[in-house]
Amino acid sequence: MGFISTALRIAEKDLKTEFRRFYEILSILTFSVSSILVCSFAWGESVVTRPEIAAAALWVILFFASVLAFTTSFAREADRGTLSGLKTLPCSPLAILLGKIIYSIILLSFILFILLAFSMVFLNLTLTEKFTDFLIIFLLGVVDLSFAGSFISGLVMFSEGKTLLLSFLLFPVCMPVLIPAVLATENIINGASIGNIAPELKLLIAFIFVIISVTTLTFKFVLEE
Amino acid sequence: MTVTVETIDLSKRYGYLYALKNVTLKINKGESVALMGPNGAGKTTLMKVIATHIVPSSGTMKIFGENPFKNGEKVRKRIGFVGHESFLYDELTIKENLFFYAKVFSVNNEDFLDIIDFLNLKRWYNVQVKQLSHGLRKRADIVRALIHNPELILLDELFAGLDAETCNILVDYFKSQQEKTIIISSHSTEWAKKLCMRGVFLNRGEIVKDKPF
Repeated sequence: MGFISTALRIAEKDLKTEFRRFYEILSILTFSVSSILVCSFAWGESVVTRPEIAAAALWVILFFASVLAFTTSFAREADRGTLSGLKTLPCSPLAILLGKIIYSIILLSFILFILLAFSMVFLNLTLTEKFTDFLIIFLLGVVDLSFAGSFISGLVMFSEGKTLLLSFLLFPVCMPVLIPAVLATENIINGASIGNIAPELKLLIAFIFVIISVTTLTFKFVLEE
Repeated sequence: MTVTVETIDLSKRYGYLYALKNVTLKINKGESVALMGPNGAGKTTLMKVIATHIVPSSGTMKIFGENPFKNGEKVRKRIGFVGHESFLYDELTIKENLFFYAKVFSVNNEDFLDIIDFLNLKRWYNVQVKQLSHGLRKRADIVRALIHNPELILLDELFAGLDAETCNILVDYFKSQQEKTIIISSHSTEWAKKLCMRGVFLNRGEIVKDKPF
C-alpha cells in the first residue's frame, strides 16, 4: 500500500475511533461554544462596533480547542499500546504522522465550522460577504495547526507530563501561525481584499513547508524507543 | 539452512543499564524458539528489537538477510508481532480492527477468515474489543498479527493470563505452522516446551543458556 493510502487508512481509523468516543469531541465543542458565549457577554456592544476583536477571540478559542484535540492524537496511542501496532505496519513513520495530520485537519475543520456558526450569532461576525477569503485563511490556519500540533503531540507522547509539555511547546511553535492568521482575519473583517493579505498568507504557507522539512528530517527518531 | 534472524553482539542500553548485552543468536527458518528468563531478563526488549520497534545501541542484526533498520518496511511485511499488550483499538470491533490492518498490508478481507474460525472468534467478530475478555482479545490480536501471513512470528508472553483451553488452541495452531519461524517469550516452561523446540535463557540482558528442549 502506498504512502498516501496508508496515511488515509490511519486517518479513517482515527476518525472512527474518535467519533465512537464522541464525549471527547463534545468536551472540545462545549469549551469552544462556552468561550464564545463568555466573550459575547463580556464584550457586549463593543463586538458590534469593533467586529475585528472577534477575529482574535476566534483564533484564541480555536488554538485552545486544538490543544485539547492534540493531547489525544499520539498520546492515546502511546498510553494504550496501540502505537506498537502502528509500528508493525509496513510503512514509513511519516505515513503515520501524515495520517494523524489528516485526522487533525478533519477534526479541527469540524470544530471550526461549529465555532464560525456560533461566532456569526454571538460575536456578530459577518462571513457571507467574503466567505471564500475567510475560508482560505481558516483552512490554512487549521492545516498549519494540524501539522505543528501532530508533530509536537508525537514528540511529547512518551513524556510523563505530556499535556503540560504539549501546551508549552505548541504556543511558541504556533506563534508564526497565530499572528498572521489573526492579522489576516482582522484585515478581511475590516474590508481588505485577498490581495491585501498576501504577506500573511505567504507566511502561513511558508510555515507548512518549514514544518514538513523539520518532520521529514526528524520524525523517524520520534517513534524510536 | 536459511537463517531468519541473526544477531551479533547486540546490546541495548538505557543510560547505564543494559537491557540487552552482547546478544549473539541465530534462528533458522522453521525453528520455534522460546526466550525464557526472569522478569527484567531482556526477553521483551529482544523481541521488540527483532520486531524493529527498538533500535539497538550497538551490534548488528539481520532478518531474512537484511538490515531491518534500513529496509524496515520490507522486513516488517514478513513479521507478525503479538505484544504483551493488545494492539487493537477498544472502540472498534474485531472486524473493523482486522480490516484496518488488512487494508494497510494489502490483504484481501476474506484471506484471514480461516484463522478466525480456527481461533473460535467468529461469534465475537462484530463485537467491540473493549467488551472482550483478556483471552478473546489475545486471540483477536493473534489474528491481527497473522493477517498478512508472516514468515516470522513473534509472540511476547503468549500464555500470560490465558486459561488452559485457550493455551491448547494456540499451541495447536502454531504447531500447525511448520514452515514459519516462531519466537515466543514466556515464563511458563511447561507451555513453552509444548510449542518450542529450543529454549534460549536470558538473565540481565545476556544469554546464559541456549539448548534444545
